This record gives sequence, structure tokens and C-alpha cells, in this order.
Amino acid sequence: MPIIHLKKLIMMGIVIIALSFYFTLTVFILPEKYIAKEQLVPSPYLEIELSSVEITLGESFRISSISENKGDYGDIHIVSAAFPTEQNIENIVQIASYDFSNSPQFIEPGEEIGAKYSGGLEIVSAQYPSIEAMNRPVHPGTKYVMDLQITPDEIGEFIVYMKSIDIPHSSSVSHFPQSGQLDHQGEYVLVYTVNVNP
Amino acid sequence: MKVQQKKQFSSFEKHSQKIFFFGSILVSFGILFVTVGGSWDITNHLLNKPETFFSLPHALMYSGVAITLIGVAISFIGYRNLHHFKNIFSLPLRIKFLGIALLTGAGPFDFVWHSNFGLDGLLSPPHFTLIIGMLFCSIGGMIGISRFLKLKSSKNFLLPYLLILGVLPVWLAGSGVISSLTLPFSNTDYFQFNPDETFAFVVATIAFPFLISFSALMASKISNFKPGIVTILGGLFLLIYGMTAIGPNFSMLESAEFYALNLIPFVISDLILSFGKSKRSSLLAGGILGSVFYMVYYPYVMYTYNEVLLGKLVSPSMIFHTYFEIMPQVIQFTIIPAIIMGIIAVYVANRFSKKISMY
Repeated sequence: MPIIHLKKLIMMGIVIIALSFYFTLTVFILPEKYIAKEQLVPSPYLEIELSSVEITLGESFRISSISENKGDYGDIHIVSAAFPTEQNIENIVQIASYDFSNSPQFIEPGEEIGAKYSGGLEIVSAQYPSIEAMNRPVHPGTKYVMDLQITPDEIGEFIVYMKSIDIPHSSSVSHFPQSGQLDHQGEYVLVYTVNVNP
Repeated sequence: MKVQQKKQFSSFEKHSQKIFFFGSILVSFGILFVTVGGSWDITNHLLNKPETFFSLPHALMYSGVAITLIGVAISFIGYRNLHHFKNIFSLPLRIKFLGIALLTGAGPFDFVWHSNFGLDGLLSPPHFTLIIGMLFCSIGGMIGISRFLKLKSSKNFLLPYLLILGVLPVWLAGSGVISSLTLPFSNTDYFQFNPDETFAFVVATIAFPFLISFSALMASKISNFKPGIVTILGGLFLLIYGMTAIGPNFSMLESAEFYALNLIPFVISDLILSFGKSKRSSLLAGGILGSVFYMVYYPYVMYTYNEVLLGKLVSPSMIFHTYFEIMPQVIQFTIIPAIIMGIIAVYVANRFSKKISMY
């Protein structure tokens, strides 16, 4: 009889010690350690090359973007090209090269889109067309190319807005450019203008 | 001559039982493939947002469906040749038939759905058909395996451990049902199938602890409290979840040490059950297993609780932080109901295991 009791006591002791060890580590010690760790901050960088700033009507020009994540590992890397002087880009803009993991999204005027780097929590209506390239996930130091061939159909200024955003977006470090002109989404853009002559 | 005929007949009967048993093993194995593929698919959608139906997780899932289909066919062949024990194996076969009808129907249904409405979320009519089919098939497989082992009452020490292969797919398929009813991964451009956040909160708090405790207790009870059953079962569950939900997410790799610690409650419960073998020890083990559900279902269970507690937009690399951020609140709200559900599951597992054992 006493041996059985002793066995039970030992068993109870093992259970209590093991459970205390488990809950102390999983509920108190490790969570504190993980929360204290800084969150990952991806940081995009964009290099743009414009083939020409003056063309004649009927000619094409190219706008090439090389984007890079210069920060930590991120979930999504976005490069956007928008065309504020246009309403329809169907026969004007063609994608010449593209190496992002997800297919490009063609956004038309009137579509609901995220704004102010909110990841979709704030929504606005698109005022002009744009193309969004997306790569998921994005490792540090990786580069992506999107090359657009554009053939304007009207004389005058043809404007292209370019920007890049990485998600999670925790601060201004996670978008490029970090200052300058704001677009219809309330987000900073690089502005490129090509004069289309008769 | 008559004695020889009798011997031949008896050997044929045993052979047919073995064929049915092999079919049940294949069914469970096939569902294991489907559930592993399913869990991997959730992670794949979250991380990579695939744009096509043809992906590796889908390939794994549908090869699992093919294995299950073969398993059901083999079970049927074994069943047809049975003479004395048809009544024992008719229930698992009928459940398997129902399950495979849903599973095979879900494949083309899913493809048509994808073709018409693009990629669907976690909860959609074809996905729910698939998950319910998985659940039925896994239950059929588990009952088939359990009844064969009971009938054989073999002295082979290792044979009862095959029960793990029967129970694990039930646990994973059950987790799939609960996840689809609680995770906010189901809104698409066409349909808004995300569950109500309060409903999801309540269902997750009740159902996950119940399922962990029920699965472990079922395996232990049917195997007559064989030592190691609960540890291996829990360990395999953690391994599958770890490999499909944590492994592919680069930002969560560090938390593998946290997740590995979850083996401890399974080892403790195993010790309690195999040493105690009493109702009281079952209740204690059930309570312990129920209480750890938030840790065992790391990381995705966070999304359910985040909806009510923070309402934050959580991208995959933020899962880690948000999970631990809301942990104290979640445990505060759920620990008591989780323990109670773990204990209730003991009673249900007890009744269910008796039903399985009685023909």
C-alpha cells in the first residue's frame, strides 16, 4: 500500500513540475522574449530609367523599374505605375518584362483601392488607371523588374507616377519615395513626364 | 474433409478481414495526406497568394483523395467476402461511402467554383463539402481500424499503435471543420463567408479544447491506455502543424522552440492515463489537454481572437507578435471553458469508444 501511495506522490510531483515548467515557459518567459524582439521592417527602393523625355506622336518610350527590398524580410513588395493624364491605358501601356511572383493588377478609374499606406483599412476610389506589381513574400536584397512600353495616343504631356510599398508597413521606411508629390491614394510618388510632340 | 473446409473457410474469412483492415489503413492514410495538404494550402494562400488551382498543396490533397478512394474500394472488396463479421464492418464501410461520395464530388465542384468565382476562401461550399467528406472518411477509417484490432485482440505489442493512424486524421479533419468555421479567411470578391467574430470566438473556445481532449482520450481508451499512444499522437499532430503552418513562414521559424514545448502536456497526459487508468485520471488528462488549445493551435487561432480583441490587420510576418500580444487576454477568457470542454470530451470519448467496441 505505501509503495502505491509513494508512486502516486511521485507521479503527482512529476505532473506538477512539468506543468509548471510548461506554463511558465509558454505563457510568461517566451512570449516576453518574442514581444521584446523588434518587428521586421522591410524597406523598398526604386530605380527608374526613362528611355526618352521627348517623343513624337505614334512613337513609344519605355519606363523601366528595378525595385529592391533593402530592409528585413517582408510579406508583400508592391511596385505601382499610375497614369494620371489617362482614363484608359488598354492600347497605350504594354508590359515588356516582368518578374514578380504575382500577376500584375490593372486598376481602372472608379475601382476601390487602399489609401494612406493602411493596407486596405482606408479606401478611396481610383481617379486614374494604374498597374500594380506584387511579389509575395520578399526576402532582403531581392530585386524585381517591371518594364513598360508606352505609346501615347495624344499630343501633350504624358505623366507616369511610380512608387513602391512593402508590407508590413510600420513607418515611412516601408515606402518609396518617402516625400514629394502625393497621388490619389495619399501616397508619395516619383513623377516622370514625357512630352509628346506632333 | 469437413474440418478442412471449415479451416479453409476460416482462413478466407480472416483474409477478408485483413483486406478490410488494409482498406481502412489506406483511407486514414489518404485523409492524412488531404489534411496535411489542406493545412499547407492555408499557409500557401496566406504567404504566396497563389493564382491558380494547380499548386503543390492541392496536388497533395487530391492525391490523398485518390488514395482514400482506393482504400474505400479495397474495404468494399474485403467486406463483400466476409460471412460472419459483416455486421461489425458495415458501419465503418457505410461512413466511408458517405465520406468518399462527398470527397470525390468536392474536387470537380471546387474546380468549377474556381473557374467561375476565382480563388475561394477557406469556407466555401466546395471546401466545406471536402472537409465534411474528409471527416466522414477519417471516422470510417478509424472505426474500421479499431474494430479490426478489437476483433483480433492480438498479442502483437505494436499493432495497437496503428490506432494513431486512425485517430490522427479524425483530429486533423475535425480541426479543419472548426478552422473553417472560425478563421476570418473566407471573404472574396464574390462572397463574404467570414464567420461572425463573436460566433467564431465562442466556437473556437469550445470546439478546439474539446477536439484535442477527445482525440487523445479516444486513442488512449481504445488502446486500453497503452503507454506512448497519446505522446505519439500529440507529437505527430504538432509535427504536421509545425511543418505546414510554421515551417514555410520565414518570420516564424524562431518560434519553433515555443511550439515544440507543446509536447509536454501530451507526455504528462500520457503518463497520467497509462499509470492511472481510472476515470479520475482521464478527467485530469482531459482538463490538461483542453487547457493548452491556444498553444497547440498556434499560430492561426490568433486570427480568430484578434478579430474580437484587437481587430488589427495582421500580415503573415506579424502573426508571431500579435499572437503573443493577445495571449494573456485569450488565456484569461478561455482557460476555464477550455478545461471544462476538455473534461466533457472525456465523457464523450468514453461513450464513443464503447460504441466503437460494441458491434
